Amino acid sequence: MFLIQLCNELRKLFGKRRTYIGFGAFFVAQNLICILFRFTKVQQDIATVLQGNGYLAANYTSALTIAVYMLIPQVLLLMPLYATLVGGDMVAKEAEDGTLRMILSRPITRVRLLFLKWLAGVVFSFVLVIVLGLVAIGIARCWFPWKGMFVFIPQMIFSVLEPGEGLKLYACSQIFLAINAVVAFSVAFMFSCFDMKPAAATILALSLLFLNLVLDNIQFFERYKEYFLPYHFRSWLYVFAHPTPWSRLGESQFILAGVALSMFIIGAAAFQIRDFKS
Amino acid sequence: MSRTSHDPIIELRHLTKRFSGRLAVDDLSLVVPRGEIYGLLGHNGAGKSTTIGMMLGQVWPSAGELRICGHDVTIHRRRALARVGAIFEAPVFYDYLTGWQNLEMLVSYTAPAVPARLRETIDWVGLSGREHSRVRTYSHGMRARLAIAQALLPDPDLLILDEPGNGLDPEGIHEMRHTILRLRQELGLTILLSSHLLNEVEQLCTRIAVMNQGRKLFEGSVLEALGRQNSLRLRVGEFSTAVEWLRARNLITAHAGHQLVTLADGVGSDQVVRCLVEQGMPVFEVVAQEKTLEDFYLTLMKANGN
Repeated sequence: MFLIQLCNELRKLFGKRRTYIGFGAFFVAQNLICILFRFTKVQQDIATVLQGNGYLAANYTSALTIAVYMLIPQVLLLMPLYATLVGGDMVAKEAEDGTLRMILSRPITRVRLLFLKWLAGVVFSFVLVIVLGLVAIGIARCWFPWKGMFVFIPQMIFSVLEPGEGLKLYACSQIFLAINAVVAFSVAFMFSCFDMKPAAATILALSLLFLNLVLDNIQFFERYKEYFLPYHFRSWLYVFAHPTPWSRLGESQFILAGVALSMFIIGAAAFQIRDFKS
Repeated sequence: MSRTSHDPIIELRHLTKRFSGRLAVDDLSLVVPRGEIYGLLGHNGAGKSTTIGMMLGQVWPSAGELRICGHDVTIHRRRALARVGAIFEAPVFYDYLTGWQNLEMLVSYTAPAVPARLRETIDWVGLSGREHSRVRTYSHGMRARLAIAQALLPDPDLLILDEPGNGLDPEGIHEMRHTILRLRQELGLTILLSSHLLNEVEQLCTRIAVMNQGRKLFEGSVLEALGRQNSLRLRVGEFSTAVEWLRARNLITAHAGHQLVTLADGVGSDQVVRCLVEQGMPVFEVVAQEKTLEDFYLTLMKANGN
């Protein structure tokens, strides 16, 4: 019964056109970024860094390298935008449309209904990230050869990897990226459970996430960086580090999972005490 | 606890709801027996929808007790609503899904959808042939039928209809009335109907409750409501003076226009005529008025300061 209800929530979610806005936007953005990588002097900058460290640039200017570099800005800005767009709609849109009243006249507890919706959102977040990752590597492969992977994040990571290992780690990174998406979705979902318009829920969630980003970028707050979400959101990149700092990665993932669950619990509490009227 | 068919299907005891200090429902007690078509009447803002919201567990009561099918909705929501169907004004569905998919989805919150039962219900409401079209292509009347189908799918004992005639054209209202009667006759359902359409309520309901500003003004059978009111059309020498005399003797409770008076309980037209003649008032015509629910409702509202 739970599975049938979950499938129905997914059918509702994936039956809406606006659910696909994010997928479409990612496709356009990735093509654009890839073309810029291919036809500007950015490749030379990558080559300079590699050659400065004794590597042959031609071996690492590849689809895998470009795919990772395409993901970084998208994960920071576009992914939260689309995850919160769906999260903000999840409850508030149904309440606004009136379909939620139809459901709430059924013998289902509010917590169960909300858990189903949240779980459907978690599935959406994973699908969004996996499609994002697959499309990134697919588009990058159209313009760049299949060679080794190079990941360079100043003061964080400098890695050169064989194509096989690079692909394995790229796939692994998608799981951690999906957890980032779940957190962004859950923040909007939490606001959506309060009595407000869907757009308001999305805007509040984005504001909260961007506020975290702003605080994270103020250098005087460096000592408090662990309290800001971007510090933990960035942890997915550690998958590519050698050796992988599993404790740092695990700690951030647990914190992110905790934040997502906390958002659900706050939302559920608000939803439970709300009155639903036409 | 075993339930019998004699137990009321809806029981409200001293139900109160406040929204930010504003009293929406005030100490409301109601009993809806099984097998009735029960009408809930009142102006906009009288508290009807809030009361229905509380019955369906969508609005939390501030005080009081509320039992549906013998179970407290606030505590045993699943058991209380297991055999309840509901239709709200302007039925809303997932427009991008088909009628069939909508029904599958909505019924899954009660029990797994059985295709044969879905088919049977779709046939019953007369949506056959359009069930696989997207709901966005449905007319208002078809949406109303789909709303009935979704309410019938859990095989309910009780159907709650919140302003089902809103937005329907006269033909749609006629169809809705016909369907409500079929629901009771063919399926033996108890129906709670909230409506502004007094004529519909009069034709459909066996019992009614009238609400105003969150309070219950009247509860009883429709016959009782119509019998309780006793109006006369009086053509007399001076109507306003006649009204004053009749009021002073507590023979009437209200008057309307230049000819209509509502008699007090137990007062007959003979007493009114006698009083006027004794006072020397010329009486040209006395006609007992055909009472409608609308007359009863308006008189009740007027007597309560509306």
